[in-house]
Amino acid sequence: MSHRDFEAQLDAYLDGELAALDTRELETHLAQCPACAQFRDGRLALRAAIKARVPTFQAPDALRGRVQAALRSASPARDPGRIGAPAVWRALALAASLAVVALGSWQLALRRATGETLADDVLTSHIRSLMPGHLTDVPSSDQHTVKPWFNGKLDFSPPVYDFAGRGYPLIGGRLDYVGGRSVAALVYGRRQHLINVLLWPAARGPTAASETQTRQGYHLLSWATPEYVYWAVSDLGLAELRDFAHLLQQADSAAGRSGALKTAPAGPPPSS
Amino acid sequence: MESNELERFEAIVLPHLDAAYTLARYLTRNDHDAEDVVQDAYLRALKYVGGFRGEEGGSARAWLLAIVRNTAYTWRRRHRTDALGTPFDEELHSDAIADEHPEASLLNGAVAESLGRALDRLPPEFREVVVLRELQGLSYNEISDVAGVPVGTVMSRLSRARRRLQDALCADEEH
Repeated sequence: MSHRDFEAQLDAYLDGELAALDTRELETHLAQCPACAQFRDGRLALRAAIKARVPTFQAPDALRGRVQAALRSASPARDPGRIGAPAVWRALALAASLAVVALGSWQLALRRATGETLADDVLTSHIRSLMPGHLTDVPSSDQHTVKPWFNGKLDFSPPVYDFAGRGYPLIGGRLDYVGGRSVAALVYGRRQHLINVLLWPAARGPTAASETQTRQGYHLLSWATPEYVYWAVSDLGLAELRDFAHLLQQADSAAGRSGALKTAPAGPPPSS
Repeated sequence: MESNELERFEAIVLPHLDAAYTLARYLTRNDHDAEDVVQDAYLRALKYVGGFRGEEGGSARAWLLAIVRNTAYTWRRRHRTDALGTPFDEELHSDAIADEHPEASLLNGAVAESLGRALDRLPPEFREVVVLRELQGLSYNEISDVAGVPVGTVMSRLSRARRRLQDALCADEEH
């Protein structure tokens, strides 16, 4: 790899945009190479300097007024003869409903269900984990290393699997805090993507079917087994994330009890 | 159209007015021009809201910023050809040339630049990735949508832009 390529990789890494496997390689390299570590420190200093010295601008109030006035005078309401407006506004209705997902300020107002707050926590945990150095507390592809690491850190022993044979290698684990409690976070990889699996003991019984949400470009799946509440979050395509969740569910039911430490059933990697 | 539909449109786009203004401000480098670009962009957004696709990661903010960006570039062509700064030229701004003449691209006139000035001096295609990433926190995917270039190009432009800013920063601190 040329030095230029390496710089771009390191930048992507610091932006939390580098693929899982490349991230591990880069972190290993950074730990051993003072020159590259120095380069990283320079970039971090630059980021701090930009934050401190390059301003964002607040739109002047006059501009806000101008824009609103322009929108009002240009809006089709003033032009009843205009054709095609209904289609536009149907699209707008869709846009409005999607904007609920997109706009942070709306999320606050619309957080009625606990589920939404939880989903926010899960998404925040995922995004935070993508920042440099936040991905894993115990980086290991060995489930027999990751699972015992949680001993004494949580009041449960999370099931840890390795789906490397199915194309979802285990990358590591960490502690996280979601929904007001400490939870286990397990990180799996899929090509260029990372999947965070967050889990904690289920409060009580019934198995819940899988639910899907999309927020800020990330997919979130949640389901519950008799023992655990699960959330999986990733920028991976929804079909593959579902496929991965299915593998986890199969492995869980095959294990048949909480805290199982089993290798996933062998089989061909899912088509991608 | 019902007036509450206009209100819904405004509820989607007005929360991003500061972000729109900041991008326009850095692309035009001028308060008045930035205001014109933003107003024009909002009118375009109203016109094209039917093309807004929110699913699969598209956010209202990235959609709006793409319109602001395109409006600024159109505006440059229409009003002043050099208004956004040095016209982008892959040859001129390629790494090879910059490496051969680092002093020309970094310390023109042997005067150390402040970070803000260094940013203003970047070609707009480099300036915008820095603004979108560092000031507005967009993901590479979103920047790719806004700027209409592949993610790989976002990654290399961002890295090259940062290298120049970092050199300017070092020069700045030596003085």
